[in-house]
Amino acid sequence: MDFKESGFMYAIAACVIGFVVIESVYFIVKAWRAGRKLGISKETLKNTVVSSAVFSIAPALSILTTVIVLASALGIVLPWIRLSVIGNLAYETVASESMLEVMGSSLSTPITEPKQFGAVAWVMTLGTSFALVLVPIFCKGIHRRVGKVVNKSEKNSKMADVLSAAAFIGIIAAFIARAIYGKTADGVGDAGFMSIATLITAVIASFLLELLCEKCRLQKLQPFAMPLAMFLAMGMAVLLTQVVPEQIRAFTWWNQM
Amino acid sequence: MAKRKEKMSPYYESVHRAGRIWTLGALGVLLGVPVAICLRFNAWPEMDAVFKALVKVLPIYWGTAVIEVLTYTPMLGAGGTYLAFVTGNITNLKMPCALNALENAKTRAGREEGEVISTISIGVSAITTTVIITAGVLLFAPFLGTLTDPDSVFSPAFTYILPALFGALGAGYLRKHWRLSILPVVAGVVVLLFSPTMAVGTLLFVTLVVSIGGALLMLKLKWV
Repeated sequence: MDFKESGFMYAIAACVIGFVVIESVYFIVKAWRAGRKLGISKETLKNTVVSSAVFSIAPALSILTTVIVLASALGIVLPWIRLSVIGNLAYETVASESMLEVMGSSLSTPITEPKQFGAVAWVMTLGTSFALVLVPIFCKGIHRRVGKVVNKSEKNSKMADVLSAAAFIGIIAAFIARAIYGKTADGVGDAGFMSIATLITAVIASFLLELLCEKCRLQKLQPFAMPLAMFLAMGMAVLLTQVVPEQIRAFTWWNQM
Repeated sequence: MAKRKEKMSPYYESVHRAGRIWTLGALGVLLGVPVAICLRFNAWPEMDAVFKALVKVLPIYWGTAVIEVLTYTPMLGAGGTYLAFVTGNITNLKMPCALNALENAKTRAGREEGEVISTISIGVSAITTTVIITAGVLLFAPFLGTLTDPDSVFSPAFTYILPALFGALGAGYLRKHWRLSILPVVAGVVVLLFSPTMAVGTLLFVTLVVSIGGALLMLKLKWV
């Protein structure tokens, strides 16, 4: 049996995934109890659970894709472990590729040597673990400062609303800008016709669904409007690939020359 | 005389205490994976080879980690931050998921209600992701490979998942706060004109600073 997919590796995966699930359940229960004490309705809390679960389906499938891509070289278990704890789509691919390059190999070739496998596991781990050192040190301090700013601005409700919205928009703007004029390291998903068309579809679909919820008083649909708009935009990307001529849909800012 | 620190609520205090314990536990579990692999297969790697690979990735990863901790912590709240940094995939999943939940619950990060909603949202997202990845690995791995293969008819849906996700998420804000939205998007595009491959973690820091700076200016000029 391939050592990368041995019972031992599955046992490690079970421990790591068990840890993540238990921690998540612990924080959910703690927050739920605090929420009830604060007077947040059960319906709001339930809506949060359901809409967050629905929201996570498509990105989770995308993460699963990375697991499958990495599996050709690393076996299925190590990428599964890495992307269940702290992992990130981009980090894991770059880290493993860097280590394999040093050893004269690449992600397209399966690892056969346990030493190579161990080396990749070390680089993936050490590359991404720094945040777990920073968070316990700085989270409380940052949180205390944010609390002070919020308390101050709560006195001026308009300022609080505007700054809160500006912070959200600041984050979203980075991704919108990348869809308009971003270039990826591997050239897959560069900004161009397809990324902009998908972005516009998502915006319009979200507008229309929000409008539908408001006009027809479909409050139960409200939490699903955003994930639904996302799925519609993903569907549009598939449709456009089928119906738009190649020279148009393949257009990106980087391949027009 | 030293300034006295303002006391946090008992809930926040207990979240920070638990969060620190869980995060350090996660660090132990995380480091335990390569140690266990090397012990079991008697496969300790050559340190200079590992060092060569780390030199390439550490400056980017550790620099990004500092920016991410500074940027995401105020947005995700205490419980959300501890949970999100352990479970990963923050930018492409946990953060937008929490923002969506806060928007639906009509609250904001920094309030105790926002803290609760954000934590529940990130916890549920982590469990959903774990279930989907586990089911995918155990049951659907061969099938999913075909689904997401570059030649598959469904492949574009996954290639353009981020524009779909953030377009849908951003629409509500664009509608309600269009004046606030123009400046950070333009700033992001201008930065990308000069550095098109800039990592999203760094770009995000720029757009966030521009967005908040612009909002303060607009408030002063009474444009919003």
